[in-house]
Amino acid sequence: MSARPRAKVLPFETKATRAARTRRARTVEAQEKEDLKRRVEDLEARLRAAEAGSRLPEDLVVEVTRLFAQGFKGVSWDRVARVLAAAHFSWHSEETDEFGYDAKFTETLRPFLEFMYAVWWRVETTGIERVPGSGPTLVVANHSGVLPWDGPMINVALRHEHPARRHCRMLALDMFALLPFLAPLLARSGAIRANPENAIRILERGELVGVFPEGVKGVGKPFKNRYKLARFGRGGFVRIALTTGATIIPTAVVGAEEIHPNLAQANFIGRPFGLPYFPLTPTFPWLGLLGTIPLPTKWSIDFGEPLDLSRFPKEAADDPILVNRLSEQVRHQIQTIIDGRLARRRSIWFG
Amino acid sequence: MGRIAITGASSFLGERFLRRLIRDGHGDDLVVFDVAEPSISEGAIHFHKVDLTEPAADQAMLDLFKAEGIETVAHLAFFTNPRRDTTNAHELESIGTLAVLAAAAAANVKSFVMRSFTFVYGARAQNPALIREATPLPHRADLGWLRDKVEAEEHAASFAKRYPEMSVRVLRFAPLLGPSVRTFYSRIFDRRLVPTLLGYDPLLQLLHPDDAEEALVRATFSSVRGAFNITPRGVVPLSTGIHLSGKVPAPVPHLVAYWATDALYAAGLVEAPSGFIDYVRYPCIADGARAESELGFVAAHSTRDALDSYIAYRHPAAHSVSHEPERETNASRDSSHSSVKVGR
Repeated sequence: MSARPRAKVLPFETKATRAARTRRARTVEAQEKEDLKRRVEDLEARLRAAEAGSRLPEDLVVEVTRLFAQGFKGVSWDRVARVLAAAHFSWHSEETDEFGYDAKFTETLRPFLEFMYAVWWRVETTGIERVPGSGPTLVVANHSGVLPWDGPMINVALRHEHPARRHCRMLALDMFALLPFLAPLLARSGAIRANPENAIRILERGELVGVFPEGVKGVGKPFKNRYKLARFGRGGFVRIALTTGATIIPTAVVGAEEIHPNLAQANFIGRPFGLPYFPLTPTFPWLGLLGTIPLPTKWSIDFGEPLDLSRFPKEAADDPILVNRLSEQVRHQIQTIIDGRLARRRSIWFG
Repeated sequence: MGRIAITGASSFLGERFLRRLIRDGHGDDLVVFDVAEPSISEGAIHFHKVDLTEPAADQAMLDLFKAEGIETVAHLAFFTNPRRDTTNAHELESIGTLAVLAAAAAANVKSFVMRSFTFVYGARAQNPALIREATPLPHRADLGWLRDKVEAEEHAASFAKRYPEMSVRVLRFAPLLGPSVRTFYSRIFDRRLVPTLLGYDPLLQLLHPDDAEEALVRATFSSVRGAFNITPRGVVPLSTGIHLSGKVPAPVPHLVAYWATDALYAAGLVEAPSGFIDYVRYPCIADGARAESELGFVAAHSTRDALDSYIAYRHPAAHSVSHEPERETNASRDSSHSSVKVGR
């Protein structure tokens, strides 16, 4: 006697999937709580910074008044030093984190960057909900614009449009970290020098990191190559994401290519000063410093579908073929978003 | 525990180390090898006059190590300040280290502790934010001060490989700053005008001498191997140091600074050659995680504490004025440290 084979019944929901569903629900709840906590912390930090900020310029006024209280006779080294210290600490904090991030300095720059974001470039941001509220996250974007304005703008977008108000640590090219004035400016506003060790250290703390894999090839590309993504380095960002389990968010910035149209390169001028490239734009260097004012184009920042790397083990970071394939996949995804945007865009100035 | 040999005992750190070991009751185990006898109020010490720059120094050290029954060597004979006589510095730091290592290995010394600097990584724009011990050291650096230290480290690493029965530890100390520290960089801070590089403001790590001493003692009585960064907690930007100590910064463009410094150095007007400018241009911050996990060393003082203690001692006026509201917290911080010391 043979037992009739019974039909296989696929259960609607097994124990395992139910458990997974409740687990998911719970993590979403936990994440929302986490987001809320972050937001409160952020607001508190801003309150503290604002209070500190409102107190210190008074110090400066007091010190300047003291300096000239008795006319020029009262001017001494100590008094001058005190005025300089008050001036410095009115917009810098005394201590920074080990990457040089300074909350007070960032707070000082914030209104200006918000103006550039909201008024100058009228940035339109989409897909912000795809950026997770916590955990290691890698925002990968196209790089353009001669001067790296896209970095701070992505930062403002995440800070203002994301419910968790995440602070994005940008990976800055070595060459920017090398240049006078720009080096301390970037460090104080939270950027870190782009090398794998730094990126992994920050991601392991569960922070959000922004990276431009095109690097100098992207930011200094000639105007005729605009919106054609350059090679994505050697896929270092994929390796970092695989090592730390970070989620990759492909991000497309449109509008930044036209802020300084890089019509011709005169790199030999910049070389003695340590500059990696020296652009000739319609305004620079002909108008001098005025030429460094970016054109008020209309920008969009689109956060794309996250790339889930959780199915790969950590060791996959040592597989160059896989790393390159994933890197190409991200590049392709960003290029597709850009092409879609460009097809819909009617005007450089009004979008 | 056999006897402990100390070279460079009359250096700032060496002298503190010596006093500490005598206080801790190791006075009878200490043997000092140096060109001059250190004068220490704590008591008499066993001293041998040895000049490491002499060609036969290794044989002399070997005989003495064997005769004294040395089991641990603390090699501290390094210059923190750049020397005008670079040949002599090279003979002492590179060749002298080779002599001590050879003598120690031949005398079957169990444990070898060497002083080094976090500056050996060199200040480069490409440095990671926190440099780990495994980072390769700059090869054939232009700065003689740095080149000699790197060579000494290379000798130590090669002996560690060739003589596995001798455990070699290299302690890379962050720059020291505290009330009694007198170095070329602290003397720059003693002037009213402090030259800086225009447009650069690197982060600094400053180690309190108490922490340096503690780390050295721990390493001496430990058996771990390899290099260790001995770092304080936290960092401060250079500008904070200048403004808190009530100085007027004099920013110099880097295109001028290097050759101007070299010219002034050649004329004898400044203490350090231009190679050191890199350290106020680019970051050179080390990661102390390995010392914490393997040596169990955690700095009791932060960079800010070290800076504050230096300012309070050297520039009391600037300290009291710029820190009116924070004085109390500083005082309480200091008292908590002293209570820690009593407990130790």
